[in-house]
This record gives sequence, structure tokens and C-alpha cells, in this order.
Amino acid sequence: MTSNPISSRIHGPILLVSAVFLVVVMPWLNSCGLIADFTLNLWGKYLCYGIMAVAIDLLWGFTGLLCLGQALFFSLGGYMMGMHLMLMIGKLGQYKSDLPDFMVFLGHTTLPGFWQAFHSFPFALAMVFLVPGLLALVFGYLAFRSRIKGVYFSILTQALTYGAALLFFRNDLLMGGNNGFTDFRTLLGSDLRIASTQRILYICTALLLVAVVAGCKWLTNSRFGLIQRAIRDSENRVLFSGYATANFKLFIFVTSAMIAATAGALYVPQVGIINPSEMTPEKSLEAVVWVALGGRGSLYGPVLGAVSVNALKSWASRAYPDLWLIILGGSFVLVVMFMPNGIIGIPAQFAAWAARRRNRDATTAAAPANRVTDP
Amino acid sequence: MFPFSARRVALCASLLLRFALSVVTCGTLAAGINPPVRETIAAAVTAGTPDEQREIILTLKSNPTPEAISWLNKWKEGAIFLNQDDAGSATALLLTGAPDADDSYATIKLSDGKPMLAADGSPVRINPKTVDFADTDSGLRRAMKEVADLAALADPDPEKRIRAIQDSAIGQNPDKLPALEALKRLEKNPKAQRALDESMAIIQLTSSEPAQRIEACNTLGSLRSLAARDIIKAMVSDSDAETDKETRSAANHALTEIETHIAAINAVGTAFRGLSLGSVLLVVAIGLAITFGLMGIINMAHGELIAVGAYTTYIIQNVFASGLKLSPFGVSIAIPGLNLQSGANLYFAVALPASFLAAALVGLLLERTVIRFLYRRPLESLLATWGISLVLQQLFRLIFGANNVQVNSPLWLSGNWTINDVVFGWNRVFVIVFAVAIIAVTWLVINKTPLGLLIRAVMQNRNMAACMGIRTERVNMLTFAFGCGLAGLAGAFLSQIGNVGPSLGQNYIVDAFMTVVVGGVGNILGTVISALGIGVADQTLQQYLGNPVTGKILVLGAIILFLQWRPAGLFVTRSRSLD
Repeated sequence: MTSNPISSRIHGPILLVSAVFLVVVMPWLNSCGLIADFTLNLWGKYLCYGIMAVAIDLLWGFTGLLCLGQALFFSLGGYMMGMHLMLMIGKLGQYKSDLPDFMVFLGHTTLPGFWQAFHSFPFALAMVFLVPGLLALVFGYLAFRSRIKGVYFSILTQALTYGAALLFFRNDLLMGGNNGFTDFRTLLGSDLRIASTQRILYICTALLLVAVVAGCKWLTNSRFGLIQRAIRDSENRVLFSGYATANFKLFIFVTSAMIAATAGALYVPQVGIINPSEMTPEKSLEAVVWVALGGRGSLYGPVLGAVSVNALKSWASRAYPDLWLIILGGSFVLVVMFMPNGIIGIPAQFAAWAARRRNRDATTAAAPANRVTDP
Repeated sequence: MFPFSARRVALCASLLLRFALSVVTCGTLAAGINPPVRETIAAAVTAGTPDEQREIILTLKSNPTPEAISWLNKWKEGAIFLNQDDAGSATALLLTGAPDADDSYATIKLSDGKPMLAADGSPVRINPKTVDFADTDSGLRRAMKEVADLAALADPDPEKRIRAIQDSAIGQNPDKLPALEALKRLEKNPKAQRALDESMAIIQLTSSEPAQRIEACNTLGSLRSLAARDIIKAMVSDSDAETDKETRSAANHALTEIETHIAAINAVGTAFRGLSLGSVLLVVAIGLAITFGLMGIINMAHGELIAVGAYTTYIIQNVFASGLKLSPFGVSIAIPGLNLQSGANLYFAVALPASFLAAALVGLLLERTVIRFLYRRPLESLLATWGISLVLQQLFRLIFGANNVQVNSPLWLSGNWTINDVVFGWNRVFVIVFAVAIIAVTWLVINKTPLGLLIRAVMQNRNMAACMGIRTERVNMLTFAFGCGLAGLAGAFLSQIGNVGPSLGQNYIVDAFMTVVVGGVGNILGTVISALGIGVADQTLQQYLGNPVTGKILVLGAIILFLQWRPAGLFVTRSRSLD
């Protein structure tokens, strides 16, 4: 997975073309009426997932840390944005009150203290970064300090996510409980229900995706990225060479959490709802599936995986609702077993297979081929 | 589900008793019945005014026999009918035999059990839909209840008698004291005597004499009476001048004693519930301790193997009963049933090995087709097995339906022992016994069998074991199948105490992994201690916070902090190798 499957000479232009297509051409086609509003909105959702997938890849593909809590950071970011959006509904809600509907329903008469500041958009935006970032910082510090790694890290992040989901399902947390937040009206004064606002949100998402991919590209190609990959391949050697690996991992973990949170914050106004079922361990695992399917260790593979799996899901869960989970699970097993580098790695895998075949043909008579027992 | 089954048994018993009584009273007219009772009831039914009726019923208090109670019950249920003759005098009648063409029944007289004859000598037949039954009003029913309460106090069954004694204290009616005192002179059963002391003291709390009240308080305090707690509490908080100082201090004293006792009961109860929850965790995690702990495979489908065990139990139960019809993918499969009489109690003995084998077979299949390619890639085994878990869950949904299926517990699992006011439910005791048995079996297999020796050798050093001629592939396969079989056993077991549905496994998988991680990977003793520790901690927090979810969240937080202190769990497998 470390080798670049396609030479950078080709994939540079491909990236540029797809970036331009996503950021400029799709919204333009939409404004011309050639792409339906619904489709553009759907793609906005896919691209949010794509950003989250890049965050997972940064952590898993490049640093070897499989985090099953990325959905938690994603939805925490979404919740922060959701709190601002809930307050922006104002008196337009069902109960015609300044308070969000669910609070009126629970019998509250005043806005709790920690909600007050979310009237301000810059504050909410800061919280989108700070809350998931701080959580990741504290959890990561504790986990990396005691050298929890590998599957233990995965299981612990899974437990963290599970605990947080249980917490958010509760009504007395005052975060909407089971139903979460919904029925949003305006963001920064523009109506969220009209196509042009949604188009702008889509463009923001696409731009953010391009920026995140470019930023991660730069980061992973720097000296920092080298150490990152070294940690993935043999952490102890890096440690013995005098690097404080825990700090490197912590930095990546927090960065990745913030990227996921930003994606969540853009996801909520486009989808129009956020509830605790978005932050369960299963959602995290699903996101890991996108990365594995697209190809980890390459930054655009996860985006490809996120978009294609979700597009497949949109189609299959309507066409074959009974079989969809079997298709997803089955394809996942196949990918893990036979395509360790995902979709993006297929050409390289094919090339390697062809090369082996050529080699074998050349040496057939000379010696029996060395069978590789362990794939 | 625990209280339901207990209640169901109690209900069955009381219904049976009632049925038996009615058979005795209606079926065998000649077999030594006491005519005066019948006559008294008949007189009461036909008496002119409700006041007269009540008077007559209350005379039964001198001799409250079960027979009298059964007649009164029949009256309340509307099974006694009134027949007015031409002269206007009424007779109390019972229906008998089978209905004829126009739904009329033959009748017998309540007073002597002889057929009712009309003036012309022909038997009277009545249609229950057109003739009035003997009615009761609330005053009558209260009088009937007084008689019934007295009868219950004389019930030969000690448990019923004790319940009647305890009920008699409700309302603190001083009129009931004489009956209780009379009973106390005859009572031999120590439990019933204790209940008598308690009930009498509770009634005496309302006494007008302070000395009697203080005496009652002291008695209740030394009896640690739970029933009196609220009454005494009301007495203490009641700042009326009526309750004098001394009574209040006695009441205070009694209250402290009772509350100390309650705290002790709660502590023991919590420990017991914690132990049983810990046992559930243990049973669920023990299979994982082998596949994850010993072999290092992250099997996310472990929960679904538990579900395989639970569904196997479901199938076996239906095979012992009347069979099962399934229609997966539009193909209908009918599994014939054996219709065994005692199947409901026996099937579990067969279900245990069957669910072990079924889950072990599924595990074997998984190992051969998927997992053996991923031994060196633990993170990827996590992902692949998660995919398998999705597929299996959906298969359960397609085969057994998305809803929970009904698995009945054998009768011997419902019921409880009450020792010193602490309730020990049999199903919880069963949980603990089952966990102990499973641990013992696992320990024996790992430590005392040739297979166990091979397992330990391969898990400690795979390459070295292979060099010694051990077929490591085969050992891997058998170990994994054994771990999965244990998951199947856990499923058979969970089907007895919870719901069986497609997402059964999902509810336990996070807990199971946490248990193994906290215990220390590769150590079964560690898993045992961590399961019991987590179980007791969970129940204790639940007791103090009064909220299961907050307790669970706190336990998860505590586990994360615990791993700061011991990153490799309770018991660390020492090794010089680095990764």
C-alpha cells in the first residue's frame, strides 16, 4: 500500500480535473437545471462522508491507528452546528417559543447556560473545532501515554463512541435525546430550504474536500509524513530513534478528529437532521469500510470509496432492501481478503499479478515456483 | 420477565385451587358437606333487604370454612340464580348439567342440592340469559371479604396463611386484633408467628395508650419490619402534638433499625445482582477470551455466533413441541415437532449441546473460509468479521423474521428463595451456576487435555510449535471452533433470560470486548475477575444513581481510566518480545 499505484504524472491531472468537476461543473450544471437539486444535495452528503473518510485514512492508512470513533467526532461537529441552527429557528418552531421545541416539550422555560453562546455563528464554528478537538486531545493523550495501540486502540475508541451515543440518547443532556435536532430554517440569514443556499453549501463542501485532500497530501509528503508512515510500519524503531511517537500520534489524532467534525458541521445543514444514531460504533465501522474499499494509504481512494459505497447504498437499499446488508457485508469481506489496497490498488495488483505470471513463464522449466503461503 | 413467570405460577396455583374447590362442592353432593352452611347461604341470598343479607353473611365469621368461601365466591361471580314462584317467595338455584336446545339448564336448590321442582312437580329449567342471578352490592362484598379474610387466616397452607396475616395489618383496623390474638395462641409455624407479631404491632401503633404504642414500636424495630417502615416514617415526620415525645423517640429508634436493615438488604441484593450480571458477562466473554485473548483474532461476529446459539435453542424448543415453519428466501421449510409432553422442561438439556455444536460449526466454516487468511493482519480480521456479522444479522432477519422470537424458560427457572428479606431469583442463581460450570469446563479443556496442551503451545509460539511437528493449522481451526462453540452456549443461556432477535449479539459485543481487554488478553482468570468486577460495579452504580444508562457510561469511563493504570489489563502475559 505504500507504493503509488498510478504514477503521479497521470494522477495529478486526474485529480485536478475531478476537483474542477466537483467544485465548478456540478454546481453550474445544477444552476442550469441539468442536475436535479436532490442529486446535488445527495452529492453534498457523499462529499461530507468523503471528508470523513480522508480523516480516517490519515489516521489509519498513514499512521496505522484504526479509530472506531470517527463517527463520534463527525456527529459532535454536527451537533455543534446543529445547536446554532436550532437557536436560529427562533419563534418559527411548533411551540412559537425562543427555546428549541424539544426543550419546551421537556418543560424547560429558560435556555440552559451552555446553549446561550451558540446564538453567535463564530462561536458555534469555533466549538465545531474545539469540542471534538479537546475530546480527541484528552482521550488521545490518555491512550497514547499508556501506549495503547493496535486493536486495543480500536476497541477503546469503540467503547468511547458507544458510551457517548448512550449519553446523547438521554433527554436530560438537553441535546435533543432520541430525536436529536431537526427542522432547521436559516443559516447566516439565508433560508436553508431553497436551492441556492444548498448549492452554496455544496460548493463549500467540495472546496473543503479539495482543501483537505491537498492539505493531507502536503502533510503526508513532508518529513512529518515520513515519520508518520514510519510509526505505522514499526513504531518501536521510531521510538528508539529518539522520536516522541506519542506526540506525533496525538497531533494526527486531533487533526483527524477536527477534519471529521468539520465534515459533520457541513453535513447537518445539508441533510437537515442530526441524532445520536449517527454516532454509534456501527457508523464508524461503516466509514472504515469506505476507506478500506476505496483503498487506504492513498488520499483519493477513501473519497472514491465513500462516494461509491453510498451511491451503491442509495440504489441497493431501494432496489434490494432485504439483500443490501448482505451485499455490503459480503463485498467488504471480499475486499479485505482479496483487495488489500482497495479499488485504487486494483491496477497495481493487476500489474503485479501480470509480472509474476511473466516471471513464472520465464522460469517454468528452470525451477518450481516458490509458492507464497501467506498472502 | 422474572416477576411475570412467578406471578403466572401463583395465578395457576390459585386457579387450580379454585377449580378443585368447585369440583368438590358441585360434583360430590353426598360427600360429607355441611348442610347448615348451604342453608345459611341460601337464606342470605333470598333474604329481603341488603342489611338482613349482611347480617346472615356475618354469622359465617364464627365458622369460616373453605366451603362457605367457595359459595360466597359463586355468589359474587353471579353463578347463583333466583327463582320466583307464583306466591312471590324466592329460591336460590344452581345450574347443572348441559344446556338443552334453547340454552336452558336443569337446576338444583342451593339449600339442599335437590332438583328444583315446580308446583306441578316438573323440574324447573332456566336460561341464564333471561333469569336474574343473585346480585351483590358493595356492602355485601365487604362483608364477604371479612369472612374470606378470616378463612384465609385459618388456611392450612402456611404461605397463604402468612400472606393473610400480613394483609390483615393493612388499614390498621383494631377490630382485627382479637382474631389475630386467637390465631397466635394456636400458631406453630415460626414464620407465621413472626408475621403475627408484626401485624399485631402495626395495628397497635394506632392504640390510644402510649405504653402500647411504644411497645409496638420496639417490637417492630426488633423485628426489622419492612411493612411498618412507611407507617413509622409517617409517625416520625408527623409533628402533631398527638404523638408524645416518648412514642416519637421509640418510633425514631425503630426507624433507624429498620433502615439499617434495608441498607444491608440492598447491599446484599446489589452484590448478588452484580454477581449474576458479572456471570452473564463472563459467559458472553469467555468464548472471546479464547478467540481474541488466545488467538488474537478480533471476531466482530462473535455476537452473531451467540445469536446462532440462541436461535438453535429456539429451534430445539419447537422441535420438542409442535414443530416450526420457516420461509427464508421464499422457500418454506417445515421442521416437524415431536410433541413431547414434558418437552418444555426437557428441551434445554438438548439445546445446550446443540447450540454449542451449531455455533462451533459456523465458526469452523468461518475459520476455513475467511479467518485463516487473516491471522497476521488483526486489524483486517476486525473488518472482515464485521462484514460477516452484517451478513449473518441479515440472514437471521430473512430466516427468522425481524422481530424477537419466543423462547420459553423451563418452569424450574422461575421462582425464588427469600432469605432474611433478600430475594434470590432462581434464574439468577442459575446464571451463576452456569458461569461456574462453563469456566470449569474451559479450564479443564485448556489445562488438562491433550488438545489444550497443543492450543497453549501454538498460541505461545506458533513457529516453534510448528517446528515440533504440531499441525498448527488444525489447532487454530479447533481452537477457533471451540471459542465459537462457547459463544453458542452463551446464546442458549441468554435465550433463557432475555430476548432472542437478530441484533441479540450487538447488545453484548462491546461489553464482551471490554471484559477481555480489562482482564488481560490471554488470561482466562483475568476475564473471570474483570467480568465479576464490571458486573458488581455496574449494579452498585445503578443502585446509587438510580439510572442504568448513567451507570453504564460511568463504567465505560472507569474502564478507560483503569487501562491508564494497567494498559495490558489485570494480568499481563510477560514476554521479552517486542510486538
